[in-house]
Amino acid sequence: MPNSFDAANPPFDRLSEREIDGMRDAIDIGYFRPGEYLITAGEPVESLFVIIKGEIEELDGDDLVALLGRNDSFDTRATVQGKGRHAFRARSETLAYLLPNAAIQRLIADNPRFGAFFYLDISRKLEAMAREEADTQQGSLMRTRVRDLFLQPAEFIDAADSIEAAGHRMRDINSNTLLVRDGERTGIVTGMNLSKAAVLHRMPIDGPVEPVVHFDIVSVDEDDFVFQALLEMTKNGKRRIVVKRGEEIVGILEDIDLLGFLAGNAQVVAGRIERAKSKADLVIAAREISDQVRTLRRQDVRVEVISEIVSDLNRRLIAKTFALTAPPDLRKRACLIVMGSEGRGEQTVRTDQDNGLILAEPVDQSMLDGFRAEFTAALEEFGFPPCPGNVMVRNPFWSKTADEYLADFHRWVAAPDENAMMNVAIFYDAAAVAGRVDLLPRVKDALIASVRSEKVYLARFAHAIEAFETPIGLFNNLIEKDGALDLKKGGVFPIVHGVRSLALEHGLAETSTVERIEKLVHANVLRADFGRDLKEAFHFLTTMRLDNQLAERAGREAVVRTATLGSTQRDLLREAFKVVKQFRDFLRRHYNFAMF
Amino acid sequence: MLPLPRRLKRWFHRFTLADQSYRFLFEPGPEDEVVAVDCETTGLDVSKDDIITIAAVKVRGNRILTSEKFVAVARPEAKMNAEAIKVHRLLESDVEGGERIRQIMRDFLHFVGGRPLVGYYLEFDVAMIDKNVLPLIQIELPNRMIEVSEMYYERRYGNAQPGEQIDLSFVRMLHELGIPMLDQHDALNDAIMTAEAYVALKDMKERGVRFSRRRGESSGA
Repeated sequence: MPNSFDAANPPFDRLSEREIDGMRDAIDIGYFRPGEYLITAGEPVESLFVIIKGEIEELDGDDLVALLGRNDSFDTRATVQGKGRHAFRARSETLAYLLPNAAIQRLIADNPRFGAFFYLDISRKLEAMAREEADTQQGSLMRTRVRDLFLQPAEFIDAADSIEAAGHRMRDINSNTLLVRDGERTGIVTGMNLSKAAVLHRMPIDGPVEPVVHFDIVSVDEDDFVFQALLEMTKNGKRRIVVKRGEEIVGILEDIDLLGFLAGNAQVVAGRIERAKSKADLVIAAREISDQVRTLRRQDVRVEVISEIVSDLNRRLIAKTFALTAPPDLRKRACLIVMGSEGRGEQTVRTDQDNGLILAEPVDQSMLDGFRAEFTAALEEFGFPPCPGNVMVRNPFWSKTADEYLADFHRWVAAPDENAMMNVAIFYDAAAVAGRVDLLPRVKDALIASVRSEKVYLARFAHAIEAFETPIGLFNNLIEKDGALDLKKGGVFPIVHGVRSLALEHGLAETSTVERIEKLVHANVLRADFGRDLKEAFHFLTTMRLDNQLAERAGREAVVRTATLGSTQRDLLREAFKVVKQFRDFLRRHYNFAMF
Repeated sequence: MLPLPRRLKRWFHRFTLADQSYRFLFEPGPEDEVVAVDCETTGLDVSKDDIITIAAVKVRGNRILTSEKFVAVARPEAKMNAEAIKVHRLLESDVEGGERIRQIMRDFLHFVGGRPLVGYYLEFDVAMIDKNVLPLIQIELPNRMIEVSEMYYERRYGNAQPGEQIDLSFVRMLHELGIPMLDQHDALNDAIMTAEAYVALKDMKERGVRFSRRRGESSGA
């Protein structure tokens, strides 16, 4: 039916022109008088309703759950499952579009974004999806496969094993779910099953686990799409399903992990770090932090937000590691700092360790040495590779007293070789994470004071941006090398370092590139519109770099193959590099690079 | 000659029907089904103006079967836009002038069958249709007619005080029924809105509900 059905109304805005036309041809309109039921709880449902006019009451038993009005659609859950749990009753004279289930099911299967709406709705995640940006660069949420999710380990016990043994096993493997073998059958038992058996049914804990095991398990293949797993869960009313590779069970998927995947479970991870009692507890949290990046990006969360979340989690993790490994004496006298991209809060994919220690005063040497080794090793265990430049607590050069740092600064400024300048750059980006956090501002202020009036030094410092070409030609054409472009050297680095140089010159305390740009605009160093362009270029390049890193999995190279880009992306990339080029020109004039 | 009442005409036409293959027009349609119809025309003079588009939707009980709609463009040159072509897949070259409208009318009669017709100022639409049907089957449409503006009048003004201003306009009626306005001057949209008004008014009548005097809305049960 042309025109009348409003396809701009979510989720129908996710449909293509052709799909909308097909949908419209199948739609009828129903009229319902006050008090009439559109859906009766537990009865089969044939269509999805979209209200044209009137008010509909959603009822759970006798309780009014929601009052729906114009353009609201219901019952997505019933559409997926065939029948609903809630009743829907007309409160006033109501007209509604009736979208046949068969047509909706077809669209769910054909259009992942449309399907996502239905599954997320069921997961009460509708809001989040509605706010989702329309442009997806990095695949859709629904293209993820089960094997990419966090799975509980597939640990087997025998049906004859005791309830007590099952409980101990769960604790040992730090999982709440076990698989149970009983001859040919396989079942699942959870901690809750065990508790109920013991507490509510007063079953002897040395009795076999068999009576409390659920043998009606549902399985998916690890190559199945995530939405299929979600569908199986909702369809069968299961909170856990087993994941198979061929015939072999390789893990258990729990609804909480699936929801965590859908929602991004930064809160869960933060809580886990908070509660950690040992380094072993932190290992899991550390792995989950890296999983967050992929999860969040898949949901089209903007890269600057991802950086914020991930940097925050990393800092919590590092602070907790410090709390667990540093002797009390050290905690009172030392400030733990993170530097480089971690200090700027621009971490996404995990990079090398960049951390150090500022001591208020000299401490016992053997105690310090012990901590240095343990701390660095712990982080390494959590998946932070050692820094090739050795910018780590383990290195005495990066863990010493405030006074020793001050003495270094004088040397770094007086004899500005490449190393010295790199050290300044690294330290200027430092952020305090744990311990005596008041030590860092004092030391950093001294660093700023010693360089900001040294024009020649600053010019040399900024000159590092000339180390790499920005891959854009005189006529704003992209210059590829072997069909590839280096986003980091040609784009991200010149922005970060150029902005860092200007920030240092103006004595800014901020560490993040974006905040520095904003302050520089505020101080009239950069024009407001150029500041905006620079931020956008930075966001675009870091987004593309992250998407690239995620796609490549193994490689961490920030190299983008231009052949894989669409024309819009190409245009945006060209724009971004154009801004970088302008920024470099600005810095050239500002610092008079011609004198070198 | 005085115009014959339709009912009498209907009885008479049963025998004068030229093409007996159209006998189905006199068979009662499926129970509880009606067809809402609307024509878009080049003007309001039945003798001179023509049908541009004709649209109809079946209504079964309280359900408007937009999935089984009838839409046809008789004068594509008057409505030559992409939408029209997409809906009917008829291009000008397909069928020439007179033959086109004859074919549309044949299809329309089969679509409607013996079901009653529902419309807003239906008389005009039916006159337009009759004009084109007459050369085909030598009779006027024998179907029962349901006038929505009459249903509205009865529910809204049936107990009107003397001197009360009466407004039976389409827009006013939809407004008081709370039915959202679709793009007007689209025959299908008009037919759909007419059908929506019909099911709402029919239900009000069945429940003995009238429009409340003060709020421009129905007063609920």
